[in-house]
Amino acid sequence: MRYPPILLVEDNAADEALTLRAFVKNKILNQITVARDGSEALEHLFGESSANQELPALIVLDLKLPKLDGFEVLRRIRADERTRLIPIVILTSSNEEEDILFGYQAGANAYVRKQVNFTDFVATIGTLGLFWLLISEPPPGAGPPAVLPAAPTNSSP
Amino acid sequence: VSQQPLDGIDTLRYPDSSSLLSAIVNSSDDAIVGKTMEGTITFWNPAAQRLYGYTADEIVGRPITTLCPPERVGEVKQFLAMIGRGERVVHHHTERRRKDGSTFPVSVTISPVYDADGALIGASSIARDITREQQDEAEIRHRTAELERAIRNLESFTYSVAHDLRTPLRALGGFSAALLEEYADSLDETGRGYAGQIRDASDQMGRLIDDLLDLSRVARAELRLEAVDLGAEAARIAEELRRGEPDRLVAFSGQRPACAWADRRLISTVLQNLLENAWKFTSHRDQASIEFGSMPTEDGRICFYLRDDGAGFDPAYTGKLFSPFQRLHSAEDFPGTGVGLASVQRIVERHGGRVWAEGAVGAGATFYFTLSAEEPYALPAHPARRGQRRRRGADAAGLCEE
Repeated sequence: MRYPPILLVEDNAADEALTLRAFVKNKILNQITVARDGSEALEHLFGESSANQELPALIVLDLKLPKLDGFEVLRRIRADERTRLIPIVILTSSNEEEDILFGYQAGANAYVRKQVNFTDFVATIGTLGLFWLLISEPPPGAGPPAVLPAAPTNSSP
Repeated sequence: VSQQPLDGIDTLRYPDSSSLLSAIVNSSDDAIVGKTMEGTITFWNPAAQRLYGYTADEIVGRPITTLCPPERVGEVKQFLAMIGRGERVVHHHTERRRKDGSTFPVSVTISPVYDADGALIGASSIARDITREQQDEAEIRHRTAELERAIRNLESFTYSVAHDLRTPLRALGGFSAALLEEYADSLDETGRGYAGQIRDASDQMGRLIDDLLDLSRVARAELRLEAVDLGAEAARIAEELRRGEPDRLVAFSGQRPACAWADRRLISTVLQNLLENAWKFTSHRDQASIEFGSMPTEDGRICFYLRDDGAGFDPAYTGKLFSPFQRLHSAEDFPGTGVGLASVQRIVERHGGRVWAEGAVGAGATFYFTLSAEEPYALPAHPARRGQRRRRGADAAGLCEE
């Protein structure tokens, strides 16, 4: 069985290592691509090399990123027909009400705070992976852009 | 100038009311100027001379517009028309011109003047130089802007603390945990102990940072006041604590209702902190009791209290209870960061109230708080507030029934 890929957008090397470790500890075996800033994330999704690539089943997004911040990345992903339904989980240090609100307004599906305690963090990543990769039904037509239904929200009868 | 506008003064027991009036007018610090309905100056007091620079001889008989900058001439004519219709001009802020041509800001009040038969014969104006007030206002605006900027800086600083300090901390905690999990065999007992210390210390610092952020949020949060039944909130929190530790025997008694005009979320934080404290500091007792209630203060307001029969504290340190990170018990006996009571104090003070504590070692503790002083600061106006404020002292219970 093939597992759909995950895109992790994370600029901090230690956080990247810890997050990858938490995925492994939870036996989440999906291929994980890491983008180290906002523009790298967009390049991965929309750049030239993305044409024949499978779109991620889940995007795990940090907010405070060099170049383009997480909110902007989120808006660009939501603005594009091919990627606008991909589940996006914000994974960040901040629990400022404002960030949470902006995150949802920009189209995030979930907002999760990174814990300092590693045992708690592993448990969080496990729950997150379990929910978004197994329990939650993916958006219909997720996969190659060709099979995406045209603009479901604007559909007239 | 007629005495008529100062109606009533001549009933005072002065033999010569007109000399009294001229003494008042002459000693006034405000410039008092009389004029006809055509705008010709008829009266000029010493303060007017000081303000405008003209002597009475120079100015009486000349048009009132002499005292205006050219762009204000229309305004003066408009005011005379208003006086003609029997209206008044009260504390109007405008500009006037001195003899030397310089202009300055004034607050001016203009009233009609009637003769003995009640016929309108002119107008009197009282003008006050408000240069100083305007400078003060500008200064206040400037300082407010500076303060707002400082608060914004503080907010962004707090935000960086949240994000930037937690990130390296997560690395400390995460990698020391990884060391313990995967390299435990390569480390001896002492080495594992050291790695454990790093992990525990980073957890503790994570909690401190979070508590500190909560504290700063409490200070920044906007107050949304409503009638809150503190008794119901306390009972709810006590029930949650009981569910968390079902084996403990704690008798909770709470007054219902016990109402106050408060921000529901913030006041719940107060009760949560106080109850958690009471719960924690009674943990060594087989049977403990915690009581929440209210009582009137000497000045007729309401004081809420939470009493426990737990470990108590040394009254000598009462003053330190509410400072952040101050702890009167060792972390081994009773865990905590020492921020809870600091939050309680900030919230109570933001409600215009006061918090204090009584206790003795081994004899339990009682925390008291009021929620509104006579001049609560940052208490926004609320249409229903006045009536409810009045009722609060005598009949706070009525608040919650609406």
